Amino acid sequence: MEFRKLVIAAAAGTLLLAGQAAAQGTLRIGMTASDIPLTTGQTDQGGEGMRFLGYTAYDALINWDLSSAEKASDLVPGLASEWKVDAADKTKWVFKLRPGVKFHDGSAFDAAAVVWNLEKLLNQQAPQFDPRQSAQGRSRIPAVASYRAIDPSTVEITTKSPDATFPYQIAWIMMSSPAQWEKVGKNWDAFAKTPAGTGPWKIANFVPRERVELVPNPEYWDKKRVPKLERLVLVPLPEASARTAALRSGQVDWIEAPAPDAIDSLKKAGMQIVTNAYPHNWTWHLSRVDGSPWNDVRVRKAANLAVDREGIKELLGGMAIPAQGFFPPGHQWAGKPAFKLRHDVAEAKKLMTEAGFGPNKPLETKILIAPSGSGQMQPLPMNEFVQQNLADAWIKITFEVVDWNTLINIWRAGAKHESSRGATGMNYTYFIQDPFTGLIRHLQSSLQPPAGTNWGYYSDPEMDGLFDKVRNTFDAAEQTKVLQKIHEKYVDEALFLMVTHDVNPRAMSPKVKGFVQAQNWFQDFSPVFMAK
Amino acid sequence: MSELAGPARGYWSNVLRRLMRDRVALACILVLAVILLAAIFAPLVAPGDPFRASMLRRLRPIGTPGNLLGTDELGRDMLTRLIYGGRLSLFTGIVPVINAFAIGTFLGVFAGYSGGRANMAIMRTIDVFYAFPSVLLAIAISGALGAGIFNSIVSLTVVFVPPIARVAESVTTQVRSLDFVDAARASGAGALTIIRVHILGNVLGPVFVYATGLVSVSMILASGLSFLGLGTKPPEAEWGLMLNTLRTAIYAQPLVAALPGAMIFAVSICFNLFSDGLRQAMDVKL
Amino acid sequence: MLQYLLRRFVYAIPIALGVSVVCFALVHISPGDPLASVLPPDASLEMQQIMRQVYGFDRPLPVQFGFWLWRALAGDLGVSIATGRPVAGEVWHAFGNTFMLAALAAAFGFSAGALLGLVAGYWRGGWIDRLASTLSIAGISVPHYWLGMVLAIVFSVQLNWLPATGAGPGGSADWTWDWAHVRFLVLPALTMSVIPLGIVARSVRALVGDILSQEFVDALRAKGLPESGIFLHILKNAAPTSLAVMGLQLGYLLGGSILIETVFAWPGTGFLLGNAILQRDLPLLQGTILVLAMFFVVLNLLVDVAQTWLDPRIKRA
Repeated sequence: MEFRKLVIAAAAGTLLLAGQAAAQGTLRIGMTASDIPLTTGQTDQGGEGMRFLGYTAYDALINWDLSSAEKASDLVPGLASEWKVDAADKTKWVFKLRPGVKFHDGSAFDAAAVVWNLEKLLNQQAPQFDPRQSAQGRSRIPAVASYRAIDPSTVEITTKSPDATFPYQIAWIMMSSPAQWEKVGKNWDAFAKTPAGTGPWKIANFVPRERVELVPNPEYWDKKRVPKLERLVLVPLPEASARTAALRSGQVDWIEAPAPDAIDSLKKAGMQIVTNAYPHNWTWHLSRVDGSPWNDVRVRKAANLAVDREGIKELLGGMAIPAQGFFPPGHQWAGKPAFKLRHDVAEAKKLMTEAGFGPNKPLETKILIAPSGSGQMQPLPMNEFVQQNLADAWIKITFEVVDWNTLINIWRAGAKHESSRGATGMNYTYFIQDPFTGLIRHLQSSLQPPAGTNWGYYSDPEMDGLFDKVRNTFDAAEQTKVLQKIHEKYVDEALFLMVTHDVNPRAMSPKVKGFVQAQNWFQDFSPVFMAK
Repeated sequence: MSELAGPARGYWSNVLRRLMRDRVALACILVLAVILLAAIFAPLVAPGDPFRASMLRRLRPIGTPGNLLGTDELGRDMLTRLIYGGRLSLFTGIVPVINAFAIGTFLGVFAGYSGGRANMAIMRTIDVFYAFPSVLLAIAISGALGAGIFNSIVSLTVVFVPPIARVAESVTTQVRSLDFVDAARASGAGALTIIRVHILGNVLGPVFVYATGLVSVSMILASGLSFLGLGTKPPEAEWGLMLNTLRTAIYAQPLVAALPGAMIFAVSICFNLFSDGLRQAMDVKL
Repeated sequence: MLQYLLRRFVYAIPIALGVSVVCFALVHISPGDPLASVLPPDASLEMQQIMRQVYGFDRPLPVQFGFWLWRALAGDLGVSIATGRPVAGEVWHAFGNTFMLAALAAAFGFSAGALLGLVAGYWRGGWIDRLASTLSIAGISVPHYWLGMVLAIVFSVQLNWLPATGAGPGGSADWTWDWAHVRFLVLPALTMSVIPLGIVARSVRALVGDILSQEFVDALRAKGLPESGIFLHILKNAAPTSLAVMGLQLGYLLGGSILIETVFAWPGTGFLLGNAILQRDLPLLQGTILVLAMFFVVLNLLVDVAQTWLDPRIKRA
């Protein structure tokens, strides 16, 4: 009997091993970035940078839960196993650090490392201050006033004023290894070649502008997230048709954002197309400065009713979710807006007539657009389509086309700035993953340029009051209710021209298995493996 | 230079006659004329509106009823867009050469006629620009100035001035030292008269032939800039840009996507063959 | 001869200086914020000011030029804004890749072009001549970026014979000259070779035609020299100018690779340049253009010298 058990156990062991061996392989991904994002911790290249070289090789004190495709993802403990705000002083946050976590270089992660990493971004006098990481990370944590290590496993961070959205901010901040930085000669360029974080992946090999290779970190603190792959290779392929060609000729196994027109042919070639909702929206941000036609709520509503969102979806080969609000349908902060974003030209005309316009007296105004840009989807055809839609409701749009970087600068400068060229709106896509990036930054009156990115100079004491309430509501359920109320106000007053949400299409070879596309800008590559 | 002495009155009619006998050049002139006229009278010739998009008629194949050459990624009629596209493509291809022809000839003749320090100053500056490979210079200037038709014309003009100025300068220098110029000068003719009567007459021919040869290069470069996103901006119709925006559709409708490139190719070949024919007809060696 | 070489060399110095001024000026005539690429979109104005100081963009232009040139002379082209890596290293690595591509394209384009031109010039007016002329006209007239796309669709996507993008299965860092890597070179090099092929063929054809129409050939023929001897004569006389044409073409290939490298995602200087323009990475743009232009200046010098050496009859003013 004993012997038989042993044999069975051995057989099971072999099976298990075989199973593991099968669940390995190399996954090569074609990114849309034109270069390898920064490998030092705080990445550049926008959301894609954090997706591939942020949350893979590094962790934040608080991470995103990327394990589900069904629900919008929320925060989960990362390098901090728990955190709470001081009951008496709501500006004091205490983070309990996860014990026993090691950086890839073997050094221990502790409270001193957290302070060191915050200094890296915020203190220009610190020897480890890195202007490049600072440029990316500093504006993510505007609330931070000071920070200190209470003991080796406890950190206290003080915010400038009570801010319940602070956990979302700190989820941006990646922890790099101070010991590794010392070892490579206190030099970030050297660190970039041999980086060390705490994440599930280690950066193994790095050819600037061409590829970066990641290998699993078997000692990762969350055993569930130890990668199944042998190797993950990232290749920058900014050109959509080059990406498609690379996938079809077998040079990569997975591409980000295939061109909509290539999707049919990719499907025919046996590729899988993976999509999911994620917190992204494609809008026209409307100016509310004096004299803007969008100050009239009837005009804003009419424009929203004139847009044929199903037509846009068709234009994008089905790769879109028609907007029902500022957040994607079903989002936990969507609430129940009364104003429905439907295609109703008759109603739009009625509203326009009330507002004093008509077929012989159309509203004429100018909108800023860029021919390309991160998250902008297919800006030219989409904008032209919206232009045609609005013409049906007597809104005659002319476009001012500028390049993407210029548009970003105009967005920072505000609608009153001369660089906005008198335009009353701009086509801008938003990363709307947390209360600040999702809602507050666009419309809080204290964030009018140059202080922030309230481009349209929107100002409404009621809205400001709601934003303050979000920041002062530390109970999660209560906070969600306030956020829903804000979103209802966004939609009911038609504060933006809300058009569509991207579905983040990815095309991958049939060999790629196990990927769960989270409703997030970031993704988890740990469960992915290659079929033989 | 076989025609150094002032061209005879019958020279141009001779050239024309010789050109008319060159069947290849004639065919090219014909093709170019058709494309040029179609572009100029695009609103009359084109079957549709170049900007009218339709989501229902996207990427139709060649031969679709109503869309003879299919439709593009926005459902716009390809034939219409190709006809309209000729306007900007020919414009951005030819205008830099015309500009460079005017500026380069002026600089070259001025430098060649003045000689001495002025010559040094002008020609050495031109040498600096000549020291850049042409594509590199065009892209450097366009890349620095940013996208746009105007910027692309500026950058291509800068690219073509140096070679034209060099040709003009070398011909001027040769002519200046000839006997009949000395004689004219001795008889008290002013510098302007000498340049107008004796020098330009000799310089314009070869420079013109040289410049026609540059048009095809200019077309390809201008479209290349648009292809890189540095030239014409959407939604304008321009062949290089159409090639660029149709690139993503190349798997869905490869033939339609290849059309703008074929147009650039065809026009460029015609210009080159025409330039060759002209060169032979005018008996110019460069 | 030595004196000529010396003079030619000295003459190259002000040109090189002029080239560096143009490179520097180019980048500073460009509108827009040079730091746009490093700053996240919602960076505050204060943040931008800090970055401007860190990168030295707050100093006067002549001072910036002085520092830049001085360091460039020492081989330091500054640091890329977008990546933080030294520009010199990036350009050098990319230049190697472009050189590989250009050299292969040149080898093919030059030999095929010379052969075509020779045959066409020798049998002028025949069907071979017509074929060669058509091919060479097509070569110089084709928008090569378009040709590249077409070739990629046919040979990579439809037939799956050759890879469409990149420089080898493991990137260019572990390049080796085996088929696994060289197959990545085939399509871009072939596409790139059509222009020099056309130009070389045309030049050689014209040269051979000229030589054949000269009296000495008739004299040689009259003396009873066999055709093979005449052919040798032609080769000898056509070589110097042909080599000069090829030398310049190599320079154009190196400097004009951006379109091809964009289509094939080949990690060379053109790709680097494209990235630099896209990200408005001014130091990288400057450095890449400077290196390419300087190489062209040197190449011109070498071509002149080689031509003089091969053909001492050429008088040099």
